[in-house]
Amino acid sequence: MVHLVTAVIKPFKLEEVKDALRGAGILGMTVSEVQGYGRQGGKSETFRGGEYTVSFVPKVKLEILVDSSDVDKVIDIIAVTSKTGKIGDGKIWATDVDRVIRVRTGEAGSDAL
Amino acid sequence: MKSFTVIFAPMKKLRRFKQKETRKVFYAIFGGKMIGIIAILAAMIGVNSFLGGAASAQTATVEHTANQLVNPINTIWVLVTAFLVFFMQAGFMALEAGFARSRETVNVLLECVFDTCLCGILYWAFGFAFQFGTGNGFIGHTYFWLHGTPETYGSTGVAFLAFFLFQFAFADTCSTVTSGAMVGRTGFKGDIWYSAAVSGFIYPIFGHWVWGPGGWLGNMTLHPLNTFTHGALFRDFAGSTVVHTVGGFIALAGAIVLGPRLGRKFKRDGGGPLPPHDLTMGSIGAIILWFGWYGFNPGSTLSALDFTGIGRVATNTTLAACSAGLVAIFWVYPRSKKWDLGIACNGLLGGLVAITCPCYWVSPFGAVMIGAVAGIVVPLGIDLLEWFRVDDPIGAVAVHGFAGIWGTLSLGLFATGFGIPTADGTDHSSLVKGLFYGGGWSQLKAQFVGSLTCVIVVTAVSLIVMYAVKKTVGLRVSREGELEGLDIHEHGTPAYHMEFGQGMTYTTLTGVGSFLGGGSEARAGVGVEKDSS
Repeated sequence: MVHLVTAVIKPFKLEEVKDALRGAGILGMTVSEVQGYGRQGGKSETFRGGEYTVSFVPKVKLEILVDSSDVDKVIDIIAVTSKTGKIGDGKIWATDVDRVIRVRTGEAGSDAL
Repeated sequence: MKSFTVIFAPMKKLRRFKQKETRKVFYAIFGGKMIGIIAILAAMIGVNSFLGGAASAQTATVEHTANQLVNPINTIWVLVTAFLVFFMQAGFMALEAGFARSRETVNVLLECVFDTCLCGILYWAFGFAFQFGTGNGFIGHTYFWLHGTPETYGSTGVAFLAFFLFQFAFADTCSTVTSGAMVGRTGFKGDIWYSAAVSGFIYPIFGHWVWGPGGWLGNMTLHPLNTFTHGALFRDFAGSTVVHTVGGFIALAGAIVLGPRLGRKFKRDGGGPLPPHDLTMGSIGAIILWFGWYGFNPGSTLSALDFTGIGRVATNTTLAACSAGLVAIFWVYPRSKKWDLGIACNGLLGGLVAITCPCYWVSPFGAVMIGAVAGIVVPLGIDLLEWFRVDDPIGAVAVHGFAGIWGTLSLGLFATGFGIPTADGTDHSSLVKGLFYGGGWSQLKAQFVGSLTCVIVVTAVSLIVMYAVKKTVGLRVSREGELEGLDIHEHGTPAYHMEFGQGMTYTTLTGVGSFLGGGSEARAGVGVEKDSS
């Protein structure tokens, strides 16, 4: 079985998380720049002395396909390395993936990882 | 068939001429023209004899007026070039912002804007007095707050305040150069303090040594040194040393004291440069700087009446930039097998920095050679800094520091024997000649003394200044601030927004909440965390 681990984290934590995952043998991920809000709600910025609220805060979303046996390990690594303890650290979740195929070879399932 | 028509065309015309009407028209036009020409000739002779006496009586007055025009013309020249030098700030802003990461764009831009304003005030208060006031060989002490200034500056005949403005633009350039190597991790408070030190003290005082009245380097007054140079004076026409080496080595001191940006790994450690975020901006900035250099170098004659001089300087400036840009591109190509825009920009700027000192005294050929060497000095300088693990995001140290040294020395090699510009022409009483043009070693020795003095003194003083700032107000921003980006951490706004999801909630203006309910709460600090992403 293959799981998809998705994490939304603070952008500047990306390098750290990536290095930790590579160190643990996780060899691929997809990263996108995203914007969103959670309990943090948004944030305030200033321009010409005026303050304004940015409703959506920039985050980075990681999508990592892992073998089911690795899911807990991957979630733990991301949780530990991306944590700052302040509001806006993000979330991590995992979902089942029905089918995975490596395009080049046609391998399927865990072999495709 | 075609050639047949061509040959017989004149015959056709001739045939037509035999017709009566054609002949009439011809005589009318020809006769009219002749009458006109004769009338004009008669008028010229008549008017001349009529005004002859008056013209000779006016000669004295005309000459007098011409003399009165020397100072205004030179003042206009100095002002126009001062405006061009000032415009280099725009070039620096674009170049530095483009070569930096997007997260520190606002910081780079504000640094340049702030520096310009600060430099203007400090230079007015005491910087100019230190640099161009009369005093001793080491510092000037008249004209504080621009008090007690005469109408024109020294023997230049240029309006004093025009001269001030020109020199302010130079001082501003020097302090902006400095920030280039310190991009991305300098806290703004630290920025303010070291900028004040640069444009209020380091630049003006060193400038006095070379350009100030009685400056010890410019007049080579210190005894053992002037025997070493056989009486040759240290010459820096527009500031390869005074502006660029000074700025470059303060930048080096800053980069050393700061340390590299977080995440910057050097080549020895298997890393490489952090990529620039906007090369459109960066390369346009380089070209704007080139444009501004047409004020920097030709304006330094302080005299438009030395018209052969300003023409030569402008051409030399151009040629050096051209050859340096080309050489830098071809120098880097074999290594990366890529045509490198970044090194082309840095290279051409290195050529401009190098030609700044010798631009008045070398031939166009010399300018091409000086630029070509600068095109190699810059990439080698960048490699050297990489090896020493000094993080210089913009290339300020290689371009301004190292190419500045080369340019200063190059005068001692390539000077062909031109004189010195004066208010109404050129003074040929003392000619500047370098080693390659039969001038012997003395000019090269003088250049060596000046450049070495600059490197040692400026590096030492600015290391002390940077450490002092580091220990007191702090030079470097916090780790969190640097990771978050200086724009948001220090200045409260990124340079580039994604525009959806914001802009509807200018809370200070309207006080109404956003559609998320975050607006009014944001003002009360509920549910919204400041300075965090």
